[in-house]
Amino acid sequence: METSRSYPPGTRPDDRVTADTPVGYELQSLKKKAAVQLMGSRLWGRFNPNHWDPVYAAKTGLEAPIQTGEMSSAYLAEMCVNHFGEHFFTGARISCKYVAATIANEVISTHGIITAKQENADGVRFTVNLWAQNEAGEKKTVGALDVTVPREQGAE
Amino acid sequence: MAEQLTTDALKPMSDIQIAQTRTFIDGLEQGSTPYWDAVEIGDELARELTLTPELVVLYADGVEDFNPWYEGWTMNGWRAEGSSPFGSAIVPPLLVSHFVLAVQFDHTKPFSIGSIHTFHESEIIAPIPVGTTVEIRTRAIDKYEKRGRRYVRHEVEVTNVADQTLYFRELRDIMSL
Repeated sequence: METSRSYPPGTRPDDRVTADTPVGYELQSLKKKAAVQLMGSRLWGRFNPNHWDPVYAAKTGLEAPIQTGEMSSAYLAEMCVNHFGEHFFTGARISCKYVAATIANEVISTHGIITAKQENADGVRFTVNLWAQNEAGEKKTVGALDVTVPREQGAE
Repeated sequence: MAEQLTTDALKPMSDIQIAQTRTFIDGLEQGSTPYWDAVEIGDELARELTLTPELVVLYADGVEDFNPWYEGWTMNGWRAEGSSPFGSAIVPPLLVSHFVLAVQFDHTKPFSIGSIHTFHESEIIAPIPVGTTVEIRTRAIDKYEKRGRRYVRHEVEVTNVADQTLYFRELRDIMSL
């Protein structure tokens, strides 16, 4: 398989967004299960029992423990790194709005569609609609990405 | 009759595990105040954080992101320089965003449990090498109510402590109890 140091190992050439990638291109989804053991780990949600304890979550009006929103953001960022590689780390803007809670045990998929591209001095600036949803298609996180891919990338 | 919710409803636990969990949660609730009451517009807080290889791995494992660019620590080799397009291993792009909450929630006071993060708009300016010590600085810029809910808005900057390189900026909202 052709490899590039600019993208995570294992990504395929067709996965890489170049300056020539058209509007309408869909990013490859990732799937992640909202496992309560990860949601309640020390580095993630242990500090707030809303993220892992059913009893506390019910006390605050939640139907079940909810994932920290930042976990969804990390899923979306992983998808973006797969497609934009190193360019995601230099001048990208990403927004995430947590429009509904991700509930323990849900399987979340990430999605992205390029909606616009514009030439600038550094290359091509892409705008991408992002979202994460559960298996029923209910959107949990919605957002957007702006990222520049250098023009020379299109010549690869 | 509604089903009784239990601490072990989502994962198997013995009686002693349940007792330890309830004790932990009781401790978290001690002295906790709603975030809305804990923050005033203009409040500015900052903390330094060294992004050790082990911390980065803990973060990435929690979201099952196994990109080797983030590996400055492996089980066989332990600490190493690692490799990324920028040279040595780097920090996942939104890692510092996750740690903002440990700054904007004044860590010298009991954590305002029950708060929910609802929004962030982040600018990833430059890659952060694993091992860097950064300063995360937060400033409360607004408190507002929308549809009966209370929100606190912060702006954030993350810089290299050694040379003041600006790595990351963010605007974020927390919904308070």
